[in-house]
Amino acid sequence: MTSTTTGSTVTRMEANRSGGKMITDYWDNIFTAPERGKKVVWYNGSALNPIFQAAGLEWCHGEAFSARLAALHLEGPAQLAGAEYGYISELCSYSRTHLGCAVLSQGGGPAPGSETGAVDALDQAELASRLPHPDFFVNAYSGCSTGQQWDEMSYRVFGKNVPIFNVSIPFLWGNHADSGYMQGEEWEEATDYVVAQLRELIAFIEGQTGRPFDWDALTESMSYIKRASELRLEGMKLCANKPTPATYWDWIASIAHINFLPGNQDLVNYFGSVRDEIAARVANGVPALENERYRLYFDGIMNWNKLGWLAKRFAEYDAAVIAGRYTHSSFWQEPQIIDAENPLRGMAQHYLICPINHSLKTLDYLTLRDCERFDIDGLVFHSTRTCRAFTNPQTLLARSAREHLGLPAMFFEGDVADASFYKDEVLESRLVAMLENIDVRRAKAGR
Amino acid sequence: MPTVSSLARMAEVAADPDAYALAWKQSHPGRKVAGVLPMNFPEELLHAAGFLPIVIQENSEPDSEGRVILAEFYCGYTRNLADQAVKGKLAHYDAYFVADHCVQLLGAADVMRYAQPEIPIYFGQFIASMSEPSTNGKVRGEMGRIVREVERSVGAPIDQGRLQNSIRLYNEDRSLLRKVFDARRDGRLHLQAKQIQDLVKSSMIMEKAEHVALLKELLENGLGTQAATGTVKLHLSGHFCHAPKQELLDLIEECGAEVVDDDLYHGRRYITTDVREDLDPIDALTEWYFDRNVNVPCPTRVQHDADWDTYLSNVVNASGADGVIVLMAKFCEPHMLLYPELRKMMDEREIPYLLIETEHEGLPMESIRTRVEALVERISRRPARVAG
Repeated sequence: MTSTTTGSTVTRMEANRSGGKMITDYWDNIFTAPERGKKVVWYNGSALNPIFQAAGLEWCHGEAFSARLAALHLEGPAQLAGAEYGYISELCSYSRTHLGCAVLSQGGGPAPGSETGAVDALDQAELASRLPHPDFFVNAYSGCSTGQQWDEMSYRVFGKNVPIFNVSIPFLWGNHADSGYMQGEEWEEATDYVVAQLRELIAFIEGQTGRPFDWDALTESMSYIKRASELRLEGMKLCANKPTPATYWDWIASIAHINFLPGNQDLVNYFGSVRDEIAARVANGVPALENERYRLYFDGIMNWNKLGWLAKRFAEYDAAVIAGRYTHSSFWQEPQIIDAENPLRGMAQHYLICPINHSLKTLDYLTLRDCERFDIDGLVFHSTRTCRAFTNPQTLLARSAREHLGLPAMFFEGDVADASFYKDEVLESRLVAMLENIDVRRAKAGR
Repeated sequence: MPTVSSLARMAEVAADPDAYALAWKQSHPGRKVAGVLPMNFPEELLHAAGFLPIVIQENSEPDSEGRVILAEFYCGYTRNLADQAVKGKLAHYDAYFVADHCVQLLGAADVMRYAQPEIPIYFGQFIASMSEPSTNGKVRGEMGRIVREVERSVGAPIDQGRLQNSIRLYNEDRSLLRKVFDARRDGRLHLQAKQIQDLVKSSMIMEKAEHVALLKELLENGLGTQAATGTVKLHLSGHFCHAPKQELLDLIEECGAEVVDDDLYHGRRYITTDVREDLDPIDALTEWYFDRNVNVPCPTRVQHDADWDTYLSNVVNASGADGVIVLMAKFCEPHMLLYPELRKMMDEREIPYLLIETEHEGLPMESIRTRVEALVERISRRPARVAG
């Protein structure tokens, strides 16, 4: 049967509507931090926010702000400012956008009246430039070498006047025979190294704040984060049901929450509502898509400029995107290793299992595991133009899925925060081709 | 005049590293060739263990597999590396070693491991954040782990005396190369830019003692007092991990420029820093890793008090270069990230410059010629500047 657009629509989760407000409120609050006498840390990479929370700081995750701008289609002014400063468009668009914000926050960027052809952009620049200046930087970038270099440039943009601390997260290459996902000598050594650095980071923060670190507060926030993660994973597990009660796009909508919102009861309540709504859908037979005919896995980082667009695109073809590396192998995804009373080791280990911090062997294991877990029909690879970290092993993962599970795969071109790299026609034609491939396989198998 | 034979031999090796490696294996039965991925792995350790260490070079063949297995927005070097691995062109290597955490390089390394599972590839990560107090100890520890892996590869411990000898030999090679580079910078030597590249590239490939002998012959026979070949003096900057295409170097000179200095990986960056011979060898190699980034700062390292732009400004002063051509391998993220700071410095100092992005598959030579000629013309029209 040839795939056609049947017009399935996505039933958006109520929990995510209210969740959107949590994010808006978070950023609006950050913008007023200086007026409230709060110190602000700019950070990139790993979810260090529990440490910042315990230290009484307010935190701005650079990638998260870049993602937000892109999702709101307000990334233009920041990227324009970055381009004018000299950042080439093939550079990681997260970093370009964030560095553009840094430039704008210091009064840089396209001059008013300059021939940018985007007068509105100068108004929109207000959001990009509203980030409060950092009191210090912390970089803890897992997996991607560019991530660490990026904050060194933030440091340069601010004239080297703002203190910076780097936490280095070793890459889990798998040199030894005993190396595997969360196991082996390399894993234990890397954990010890990261824990030691987290202690050094805390000492640095004490120096910046002038007060002792509140270890009880860290225990408290990590307790909430652990519980929130458990609820999130319970919800994800329910998506093994057919039809799925929620899609990958729903989990994307809650990435901000699990990634950087404060660890508190509100976070737990939010993910509790997500889990409960999904459970209710299962109980009441409410699917995420009206007519789920295909179950897909999404590999690659999110194309933030196309958040709603992609959700609709796949739904038009009755394709439910169930799971993906960015949502299911990220963000406190192994809560059982967190000991809230002594959280540093579990935190360090989560930073190490960032999904771009593994070599092919572990990524292959995670991908095949989730494809089997969710009974996936095909894989979609987002070939993210400016994110080599996420794109690295994709061809090999596709080959492995075909070889081991007999699953077809497609690649489409896009980017994490630069809309100019997205090719909709490429996605559509390849998606249709893959879905037809699935139909043929089913026909041959008599399904 | 520089001896033709020594230059020609180094050019021959630089042009075909694989042929050299295969011939070396034939003439050294039982010994192994180690492929080193750029830019910071301490080759001396491999040399002391009896390996022939070769920094794996980009080849000149068009990529086919490499463009499929790694995305097209990877740098030319990593795609070519992947291409060579999948096509079996690296089969003569017995082991690979890498110390640099570059996300694209590790992508290529994953392809190498996938395509050649029988050839071990050891990643001994040298932490790139140079300013943190914990980094020195971590790198020292990693160096020890690399030693154990190298010893395991050859089935014998590394003799400390041999290691000290290897360090001395590598220092000698670097020192001889610096004599050539300094002579070029000071105007006492006028070799073609591609010949200078051959000197460094062949050092990355050849048995070091053999290379030292060739350099000594070159220097003993006199570097000559050829006339300057260009009207404008240029500094070439950047181009990490692999060599700029020699056609590009020729073109720059055809446009009336003479390259007087550089900070290329296949240039000063590879040869500037020696390993201390008065320390324990492993401590010395650890210190060398840190010294490298002070002597020629690299944007692949993060160090708050060592700026490439300051370094570039100083070396342009020292050489009296009239301008700078920044050679950027397309898709090289560390270079893209730091480039605005270089540009700012050159604008502030009113140093004429040109950015050329390079790719493996080829370059639009006529467009580049127009741009280089424009740079040369712009420099030629400037009023004479007071030195310093």
